[in-house]
Amino acid sequence: MMLLDIFTFSGRLHPLIVHLPIGFIILAAFFDILSYRPKYQHLKQTIRLVLLIGFIAAVLACTFGYVLSLGGDYDRDTLSNHKFSGITLALICGLLYLCSAEKFGKYLQVGGKVFSALLVGLVVLMSYSGHQGASLTHGNDYLTFRTLMQQEREKPETVEQAMLFEDVIQPILQNKCTQCHRDGKRKGELSLESLVEINKGGKNGKAVVAGKLDSSELFKRITLDEDHKDFMPSDGKPPLTKNEVNLISWWIKEGNVDAGITVADLKNTTALKPMVAVFLGFEGFADPEDGGTETAEAINPGIPHVVDTMSITSLRNKGVRVRMMLKKPVMLDVTLPPKSGVKLNDIIPDIAKLAKNIVWLNFSENDLTDQDLDFLPSLTNLEKLRLEKNPVTDQVSNYLTSLAYLDAVNLNETNITDKGILKLKENPRIQRIYNWKTNASEGKLD
Amino acid sequence: MADHHHHEEFKLNDPDFSRLNQKLDRRNFLTKTSMGIGALALGSLFGNKLMGNSARPEISNATADMEQEILKALPHFAPKAKRIVYLFMSGGPSQIETFDFKPKLVNLMGQDLPESVRKGQRLTGMSANQSALPMVPSYYKFNQHGQNQTWVSDLLPFTAKVVDDLCIVKSMHSEAINHDPAITFFQTGNQLPGRPSIGSWLSYGLGSDNENLPTFIVLVSKNGQKDQPLYARLWGNGFLPSKHQGVQFGSGKDPVLFLNNPEGYDGADRKEMLEYLSKLNQMQNSTYGDPEVDARISQYEMAYRMQTSVPEVMNVADEPEEVFELYGPDSKDPGTYAANCLLARKLLEKDVKFVQLYHQGWDQHDNLPSGIASQCKATDQATAALITDLKRRGLLEDTLVIWGGEFGRTVYSQGKLTANNYGRDHHPRCFTMWMAGAGVKPGISFGETDDFSYNIVKDPVHVHDFQATLLHLMGVDHERLTYKSQGRRFRLTDVEGKIVKGILT
Repeated sequence: MMLLDIFTFSGRLHPLIVHLPIGFIILAAFFDILSYRPKYQHLKQTIRLVLLIGFIAAVLACTFGYVLSLGGDYDRDTLSNHKFSGITLALICGLLYLCSAEKFGKYLQVGGKVFSALLVGLVVLMSYSGHQGASLTHGNDYLTFRTLMQQEREKPETVEQAMLFEDVIQPILQNKCTQCHRDGKRKGELSLESLVEINKGGKNGKAVVAGKLDSSELFKRITLDEDHKDFMPSDGKPPLTKNEVNLISWWIKEGNVDAGITVADLKNTTALKPMVAVFLGFEGFADPEDGGTETAEAINPGIPHVVDTMSITSLRNKGVRVRMMLKKPVMLDVTLPPKSGVKLNDIIPDIAKLAKNIVWLNFSENDLTDQDLDFLPSLTNLEKLRLEKNPVTDQVSNYLTSLAYLDAVNLNETNITDKGILKLKENPRIQRIYNWKTNASEGKLD
Repeated sequence: MADHHHHEEFKLNDPDFSRLNQKLDRRNFLTKTSMGIGALALGSLFGNKLMGNSARPEISNATADMEQEILKALPHFAPKAKRIVYLFMSGGPSQIETFDFKPKLVNLMGQDLPESVRKGQRLTGMSANQSALPMVPSYYKFNQHGQNQTWVSDLLPFTAKVVDDLCIVKSMHSEAINHDPAITFFQTGNQLPGRPSIGSWLSYGLGSDNENLPTFIVLVSKNGQKDQPLYARLWGNGFLPSKHQGVQFGSGKDPVLFLNNPEGYDGADRKEMLEYLSKLNQMQNSTYGDPEVDARISQYEMAYRMQTSVPEVMNVADEPEEVFELYGPDSKDPGTYAANCLLARKLLEKDVKFVQLYHQGWDQHDNLPSGIASQCKATDQATAALITDLKRRGLLEDTLVIWGGEFGRTVYSQGKLTANNYGRDHHPRCFTMWMAGAGVKPGISFGETDDFSYNIVKDPVHVHDFQATLLHLMGVDHERLTYKSQGRRFRLTDVEGKIVKGILT
């Protein structure tokens, strides 16, 4: 196991090591040219050493590169170009070293100008080989003049204007698939870079069969169980979201719509439009995966998505229990344990910083008075409040009339009376008031 | 005694511990440095996007495994319930004598169960050989109760009074037809033993709200007929770390076994002893890396805290007489179902996350009329009292109460049918459960069975659906709470389970 790991590990070092010979060979060429000027003539001496280091580095890079090439599915032509140009490069580098070395120089005598020309040629060969290598890892079009000329498509303003392939399907494939399935790398002999290539398919046949989900290998692979060995994207790369899968399924079912066709041109788009809107991130369309539609509806939009974590830590250190009810938005359930002995003044600054995040609050049985609780109106998103077994009076109701999300208030075993309950009822939002063991007349006001 | 001579650091000369003192060897170096590169990459991937706040960056650590990532995402939804009390009626209470009112059976009494209803279902060995399967209606009358005029059997007069708070599910169905697999299925999502119980999953996923008490506490009634056994693995942690297992509280002198100090020991240096023990255990752990050592350390510490918290919560002396009257006369007798219901309320007040009661003896293969009557008598008042008590204290706001058995009972009589006596065999195809409190609709009945209470005709609820819904109410997505064991990720609901949206508020 360990051996295998070092093997693949060193293979992956290739992109790192490969830059060493590049640097040294350029340095050698640079020194060689500089040494024509009398001022830098002494540099001639160092070229030999630089070339030697460059040669060793090049041999290492070739070895690691060979190991790496065994592991991946790379485009065969580009790979062999890269491989042979790389090996040639290393060999020439070695020969040039020998030429410049004193011991062998006499057998391999070349004139100074010829040597320089060879060195420059080596740099050219290296650039070619490097470009091939970059094409392997980054794709054929990573560094071409075409990329320079290409313009990014602007985001369409409406769903109708969006082109189904260019604005939706292609970006999905580019984000999730073409890292491996592109012209240069072609894992499984499949490229998803253009419609033409998509229609060609790969090793396992057609990637997409118009109108037939069952025979479309691409759809099959993205909808397998994530643990399945054939699941795509493989190796734990981020899978497609449900919405993206649905979009691709729609696109295939409707005959894998050609390029240049907008949503407006298509028929039966009632199901498609919201999916496209979600994908393009238009306002008002939440991805059902983020939190789920049914729960998202019920959540008060005023609750912030951020929280002051320092205050949470500070409260916890003071013995207050802070429970995270939800992370997006950040909803908190804050409980002061019964008879905690915590002084409210010590925790109010922290509470104030979390005011909008607190959704449930339980301060029961802590000997609190009305004055202690004057911060309550600031908890604008509060839904459930427990104040039972505290000597609070009707005064506390005044703090609660403005709370627009307050559903339930527990005032059991407090000094609340009917007057306070009536005041609470002025808040139409409050659904349930608990006043067991108080002077308020039970039932009458319920 | 006062002069302890262990002020210097421990140094163990046992060869097993020698690795502690060793420097990094070649293999370790390679593993650790390559992991380090991974950690750098991961750190920049995850960054401190978490919570949109950079005040306290939480840099993800490559060694933090999958489990930590799963737990970080919790809760998945805003929870409706903060705690659960699950009243497990072990043995399979008959739905026909309790909630599933089937008036048409009166005219069918004694007739053979039509094949069109049974549809070739395999019966248990206990009734498969009967020459006839005579149908039998409920021996007990039903009446309508509450604002919603819900039909409830006369056996449950107290429950009938709180029926407007209940969400009755009449269309439960299970896969197992015998007690142990069926209970194991309900509790762990699998008929074979070995998986974690619901309470353990919740403890693992959501943690504790009161560090002085276990997150998952189990109470078994002493007054249920123990005809079918209960095994501690029903509240076991399965493959989860063992600190998530349910802790059973008994009724005798020692509610939690081995918690009290032994005779002749005053416990004064207990804390010091535990600190040193924990140090030793940590050494052990850094050598062997066994998570059970961590569990052991935290269990010792929990036990220490429980030495004060348990006697406090078990003490019912402060409860006014009116409370005992509410729960019924049994409630003064520790270990009975009624006393356990009262205790459950006290535990819930302390924010214990999952309290599970078991009451055995619902397995009426014969003498059902008398058997079920005494079962109901032992449980009805206290069950209703628990609802009433939680409700008036405002705890039903965020507590989910669940009542139910592992399966139902057959419409036909097992054994001889007489005017006053019959039995009923196990029936997994339909049975009744109810829930009350946080997040479920009060005063409704969900799902329907046919006129024979044999097959479900509307809104079936599978055991996995029930489990998925339970987790949902606690803010957990049953598909995302997983634990990897033996090379595979497990869920409470296995590969099934749909949330029963119809009963959610």
